[in-house]
Amino acid sequence: MSYTDAFFYFFAALTVGSALVVTFSRSVIYAAFALLFTFLGVAGLYVLLQADFLAVAQIMVYVGGILILLLFGVMLTTRVTNAEITTGTVQGLPATVVVGILLGTLILLVSRATWNVQESLPDVTGTTTEIGERLLTTFLLPFEIAGILLLVAIMGAAMIARSTDKTKEAA
Amino acid sequence: MPDIIFQSTKHFWPEITLALTFIAAMIFEFATKKRTTGTGILVLLGLAAALVQLPSAPSEPVSIFGGMYAIDPFSTFFKYVIIVTGMVVVLFSFQSQELKKESGHTGEYYCFIAAVTFGMVLMTGSSNLVMIYLSIELVSITSYILAGFSKSLRRSSEAALKYVIFGALSSGIMLYGMSLIFGLTGTLDLSGIRTALASGHAVTTGWSFAALMAAIVLMLAGFGYKVSVVPFHFWTPDVYEGAPITITAFLAVASKAAVFAVMIRFFYVAFFDNMLASTGVYSSFRNVDWSMILAVLSVLTMTLGNFVAIWQDNLKRMLAYSSIAHAGYMLMGVVVMSNFGLSAIMLYFVMYFFMNLGAFYVVMVIADKIGSENIDDYRGFGKRAPIISVGLSIFLISLTGLPPTAGFVGKLFLFSSVMASQFIWLAIVGVLNSVVSLYYYARVLKNMYLREAPDGDESPIVFSKVTSAVVILFIIPNILLCFFYQPVLTFAQRSIAILLPGL
Amino acid sequence: MIESYIPIFLILAVAVVFGVVSANMSWLLGPQRPNRAKNSTYESGMEPVRTAHDRFSVKYYMVAVLFILFDIEVVFMYPWAVQYRNLGLYGFVEMVVFIGILLVGFVYVIKKGALQWD
Repeated sequence: MSYTDAFFYFFAALTVGSALVVTFSRSVIYAAFALLFTFLGVAGLYVLLQADFLAVAQIMVYVGGILILLLFGVMLTTRVTNAEITTGTVQGLPATVVVGILLGTLILLVSRATWNVQESLPDVTGTTTEIGERLLTTFLLPFEIAGILLLVAIMGAAMIARSTDKTKEAA
Repeated sequence: MPDIIFQSTKHFWPEITLALTFIAAMIFEFATKKRTTGTGILVLLGLAAALVQLPSAPSEPVSIFGGMYAIDPFSTFFKYVIIVTGMVVVLFSFQSQELKKESGHTGEYYCFIAAVTFGMVLMTGSSNLVMIYLSIELVSITSYILAGFSKSLRRSSEAALKYVIFGALSSGIMLYGMSLIFGLTGTLDLSGIRTALASGHAVTTGWSFAALMAAIVLMLAGFGYKVSVVPFHFWTPDVYEGAPITITAFLAVASKAAVFAVMIRFFYVAFFDNMLASTGVYSSFRNVDWSMILAVLSVLTMTLGNFVAIWQDNLKRMLAYSSIAHAGYMLMGVVVMSNFGLSAIMLYFVMYFFMNLGAFYVVMVIADKIGSENIDDYRGFGKRAPIISVGLSIFLISLTGLPPTAGFVGKLFLFSSVMASQFIWLAIVGVLNSVVSLYYYARVLKNMYLREAPDGDESPIVFSKVTSAVVILFIIPNILLCFFYQPVLTFAQRSIAILLPGL
Repeated sequence: MIESYIPIFLILAVAVVFGVVSANMSWLLGPQRPNRAKNSTYESGMEPVRTAHDRFSVKYYMVAVLFILFDIEVVFMYPWAVQYRNLGLYGFVEMVVFIGILLVGFVYVIKKGALQWD
């Protein structure tokens, strides 16, 4: 086992382990903090795949942004009716069976299928230049559409936040 | 590269117009004060501007932006349906009392309609998995906001929340399916996937084949969610009931059209071999029996939709289940995957546009008048509001698929295309389902005509002239298209050309 | 390839060690003579008796959402900036279109007063 493998198993364990905490933790706050480690683990896996730009973007956007948003979300909503927000489960048995079957099938397929793999990684010092090139040529259309999508999100966020204020005034 | 971009933009003007409409409406929204109808008119003009550019689309399929997007008669047909639906919804919204309660916010509402129309139009032409995902997300996120637009209504917020949660799950599942496809074929481009599968570049036997099947089932979950195919339909009744009724109508017609377009393109381009095009029936690679999977989904969808609709007391909710059932009917056309089936789906969408928008319009104006969507409150309406009641009756008969209405022709072609491809049992299930649907549609008619208003009130309910005129405007095509469907059919048949690699 | 990450792992290790060490050093080295007044929570001279869970203003949420959106914008801009010379004028125009789209959103947010804290 080379040290790359060691890193891989470390990050994989970090990702899966913290994801399990996210799923099974009954406290939303704990789940949100566990998610931090899931994101970090995924970023680590990106690094091992030599996707350095993606790894940094993952940390910037998910750890630095989305996670903060999630925590704000939790803080906005806790104790609304003097009840701790916890997650409960219903229909545990059927859900476990269905998810178990799905998981088993996917593991079987993913491990047995012949994947279209590159024999060796391209010899690049960093992916950023390549991403920059592709983003503005081949992937120009999705890139600009992403701009429109962000614009919709900005507008929606502004609308939601403002109307909440209005109801507060009315109350 | 600049040349490709210039070449591409030349064909991309309708989409650019829509995007500009959205941005212009947004600027208008913050630059002017309290001119909400103005934003609506601006959006309406923008949609019209995009619409008039559609006829000049090239008649031969063109691939633009390096294979990201396809301009072909097939997508153009759906763009007509989507943009016209968008315009009709804007016009409905001018009249909706429900939206007036959100005074000061309606400007944003129109902006979002422009954005969602843009997204749906993009869906029809997306020929790369990245574009498919992005356009579906653009439509989804905008729809979440629109579904929860009536902030003062609790059920509207509930609808938006349920929509978001189910939507996030299904889009995650779909992304996973896409990643499996990418892993197996090494490309995100639909025609690239086709080439990889056909050339044997990607392994399509044994476990890899099973993985490919699984990937496509996962993709189907994503598409199925958006068109509310059973078992991914759970969100539909609550969202349709909670969302502003104009948005419900929009989701029921345009959103379904867009997803059907992208779903057909996905299956057709990536997995179907057109070697047998002479017979008009496409064979799939490796003789995968897609049709069976889709046929089962289709049967489940229409049966569940129709049977649950029977128990509904809220007309809006009933129409939601009816739209689930209709998704099932239309799925039959995808099952057969023949030229006949495709043109039948397209014809059906035109009919569906008239009958469904008509029905939702009547529900809207009645809800604005009496403040209820409950079927029991429709008692005695036949006498009290004759034009509206006749209109609703015709739309519901059309939805059932009985002559002499447009819905009959739509179902006739759909069922014939299924029978032509030897799926006799599927056609029979479809017909039986239509019979079931008659039961709950007729219940509304019974309440309107055969039962007295609870308090014996027979005073006429007066609707404005505009309302009556709109209802009549919708009645005319619902009847006329039963007899003079030929132009629409010809147009649909001419529009089945989908961009394929090497074309 | 992985070797180029050694500095990052080093800095990570240093950060963790520094954090752990400095947090525990004062406990190790400093004198410990606790009394009631010292142990009480200090909050501007007021007794903090409320629950720590409190509802935050939705404004924070708004700021967080906008932060993410413009964060993503910057993530997109970075690879373009790296490739700026090769992409030339067309890359520039394309980027201006992208930034222009988001600029409309920014002006919108300001005009609508979503960032006003009142």
